[in-house]
Amino acid sequence: MVRTSIRLALSVLLLASLQLTGLAQTRMPQLKFTDRTLANGMRVLAAPDSSSPTVAIQVWYHVGSKDDPQSRSGFAHLFEHIMFKSTKNMKSEMMDRLTEDVGGFNNAFTADDMTVYFEVVPSNYLETLIWAEADRLSGLNVDDANFKSERDVVKEEFRQGVLAPPYGRFEYLLQQKSFLEHPYKRPTIGSIEDLDAASLKDVQEFHSTYYRTDNATLVIVGDFDPKQLDAWVDKYFAPIAKPSRPLPRVQVKEPPRKSEIRVTEYGSNDLPAVGLTYLTPRQADADSDALRVADVILSGGESSRLYHSLVYTQQIAAEVNSSAETREDASLFVLTAVLSEGKKVEDVEKAMLAEIRKLQDTPVSAAELDKAKNQLVTNQLRQRETSNGKALALGEAAVLLGDAGRVNTDLERLQAVTAADIQRVMKKYFTDTNRMVLYYLPEASKKSGEGK
Amino acid sequence: MMNNVRDLFAPLRLCVNLLFIAVLLSAGVSAQTPQATPPPPASPRSGTFPKPVEETLPNGLRVIVIERRETPLVSAQLLIKNGGEVDPPELAGLADMTANLLTKGTQTRDATKIAQEVESLGASLDSGARWDSSFATVSGMSSKTPQALEILADVVRRPTFKSEEVERLRQQYLDNVTLALGDPGTIARMVAARVVFGDSPYGHPVSGTQESLTRITAADITKMHSRYYRPDNAILVIGGDIGAKDGIALATKYFGDWQKPTTPMPTLSAAMDGAGSKTGRVVVIDKPDAGQAAVFLARTGINRKDPDYFRGVVSNSVLSGYSGRLNQEIRIKRGLSYGAGSQLDTRRDVGPFVASAQTKNESGAQVADLLLGEISRLSSAPPADIELTPRKAVVIGNFSRNLETANGLVGQVGSLALYGLGLDEINRYINNVQAVGTADIQKFASAKLDPKSSNIIIVGNAKAFLPELQKKYQNVEVIPITELDLNTALLRKKQQTG
Repeated sequence: MVRTSIRLALSVLLLASLQLTGLAQTRMPQLKFTDRTLANGMRVLAAPDSSSPTVAIQVWYHVGSKDDPQSRSGFAHLFEHIMFKSTKNMKSEMMDRLTEDVGGFNNAFTADDMTVYFEVVPSNYLETLIWAEADRLSGLNVDDANFKSERDVVKEEFRQGVLAPPYGRFEYLLQQKSFLEHPYKRPTIGSIEDLDAASLKDVQEFHSTYYRTDNATLVIVGDFDPKQLDAWVDKYFAPIAKPSRPLPRVQVKEPPRKSEIRVTEYGSNDLPAVGLTYLTPRQADADSDALRVADVILSGGESSRLYHSLVYTQQIAAEVNSSAETREDASLFVLTAVLSEGKKVEDVEKAMLAEIRKLQDTPVSAAELDKAKNQLVTNQLRQRETSNGKALALGEAAVLLGDAGRVNTDLERLQAVTAADIQRVMKKYFTDTNRMVLYYLPEASKKSGEGK
Repeated sequence: MMNNVRDLFAPLRLCVNLLFIAVLLSAGVSAQTPQATPPPPASPRSGTFPKPVEETLPNGLRVIVIERRETPLVSAQLLIKNGGEVDPPELAGLADMTANLLTKGTQTRDATKIAQEVESLGASLDSGARWDSSFATVSGMSSKTPQALEILADVVRRPTFKSEEVERLRQQYLDNVTLALGDPGTIARMVAARVVFGDSPYGHPVSGTQESLTRITAADITKMHSRYYRPDNAILVIGGDIGAKDGIALATKYFGDWQKPTTPMPTLSAAMDGAGSKTGRVVVIDKPDAGQAAVFLARTGINRKDPDYFRGVVSNSVLSGYSGRLNQEIRIKRGLSYGAGSQLDTRRDVGPFVASAQTKNESGAQVADLLLGEISRLSSAPPADIELTPRKAVVIGNFSRNLETANGLVGQVGSLALYGLGLDEINRYINNVQAVGTADIQKFASAKLDPKSSNIIIVGNAKAFLPELQKKYQNVEVIPITELDLNTALLRKKQQTG
């Protein structure tokens, strides 16, 4: 959920990727960075790179939609929007004046586990932006009119993302139905009713609970002088006091699934869709690496197993996808397909399960494994063509993986994944009892009683 | 999915100090604590753009190489100078299907082998047609560039268009049409093209319609390929972690023996001059289950070589972008949409200008009013420098960031080459943007964006906004989604007359 739709792809990138490697032929540039923590608990990661006269500034807050208050689903994301309104020293939208108006840009996104604010500006504006980020961390000063107008924007974002696209609700339901206990069961965008219930009081409460120096990581990548940066950080961020009250953390554990969950829902789609999800361990778990490689083998490109089998050979699906959706507390491995005209949803489900079974029964070949690893290398190179992309990688390693150094070692970990590892995780997690199956059928088929 | 993400953040070299002071004044920041106002910027650092190097091979193929070494990636794009605009009227989608089928089999590789070889390199290979061009692009690690270019040359030069692949792709395209017709924004875009361009070449959906796709044969595709895919009608752009010498040597190795046919070159078709375009239509596509209404204002704009090009680009930036006037009025002030914006799509011939937003069905008519109002205001209240300078900075920033990635470089340079513009325009771009003033915007807006000659298209649940819309316009055409026909400017399926 991002502030503006132009950059919607970013959240996908974050959930879906962050893969690296280092195959012999390709020089994988290491990201050299400094890492320090201020006395108030704020962490600062910085990587100088003067290849272009711009700088990327990011602040990662370790609070996401899993921390939405009770009966306020969607609040962390709504709050992200409010962070662009008035603060003690800035008028509404002043962040745009400091970035967009000088040829840079800003945006932000909210995910289950974190909220990230970022700017890219000509490098001579770095001090200005450090001041601005420190200012909105220090406090908000939003009036009711601004709050309500921005809440309407978020409701339109809900309609544009969930209600208008033919499969928007399908994706929403996939997450909602996949978790029984953990707050991940509330999709980040929330619901219209809960958004309507939110108030200015909630905003102040949320800010003082989660927007604090010991819950923030500043990431700077690009054209800057490290000593100068330290001085600016000391000047603007160091004086912000760390609150004494404890920082709440979600303690709920998602229980293991005991039997297959099956759900059928109807929507405005013309072609039926089917989704499978499996509960997988938290992102930092060692099995995540093998699951990420398995994801590429299943759906990375037209030579991938799902595409080649369901779309190309059998021609029963118009689209297939898979995703190792890693999260901090518990993850999902998601497989989806949109059917071709006139095909049966049961057949497509069977075909997806058959591809899973093949990976359980037979180890992947060395060539197929190498192919997946090469795809992961290229993906990482593409992500890191820009300062902002590098900063996202660094922030994710530090905040979600708990080890900033992983920004440079992730590819080695993926390189180390063997065919046996893949077979092992496929057997371990892709069991009948650990499966949720969602059929998303056209409303019309319900009326006609057609069991498409 | 991951491959769609291109974050194009980049260099800037404008002097912004004066601008910054203006911004502070306008923001009216109060002076209190030591740090109540933002610290001013330091002096700017300038960057440089890479210089394209080019050579035309004896067979007429124009090769352009742009070196940018920061990341070990290379992107190579083969452009054919014709695309969807040369589709015969009854065969909409032919150019796109032809280009897409390049990667589905050659004389020595079948579709499966092509995908496997490309992906084993960690590379990606895409092809398709747009307006004015068809393309095949390969991008991946620079260490694999020779292998990637060999495959690129093979698919462009020796595709086989086997009938089983044609049938497979036809079904995929038909499924995609079905998917597209479920989304209000996508429907509105296709309807807008028909409304503005009527039955002329830019009017049809570039990926075809349900009816046209079923008519396309393997013979049509083979004919399209042999007519347009020839070295003297093509441009090869290679960008990223590669030197000019190496790039040209590789191009010569894999494309140098591509024979130029003796038949005359296809003409670069004049799609239309804009004179025949439709104005003043108000079209509602009634989709009762739409979760939101897509509201479009559409009219002709300018062509890419129009002397007004930079005036147009800056005018559009005044309207569009996060802090552009449309988003200010519709999203920021009123919370009516997640985002409103506009596009000036310049092509070989006059392309469309479109302003759009999605909103709850109930606000459909109000948003149409707001879009129209802002287009009018561009000439009645053109931006003074305090507004204009930041909007120019946006254009320059976007342009510069786009040149920061291999794909962005290749796309920008390819577009200049396609339209016969000097490649050194890259280095004049910033000055050209800076030269646009308030009077230029006013002139452009009144001459080229007159709202009276615009069309309104709304796709959504009509009963929520139609009464309000009909109060304003007598000529509203309401077409139920089940009767929508994108094959004709009438947009409505013919009545069965028995």
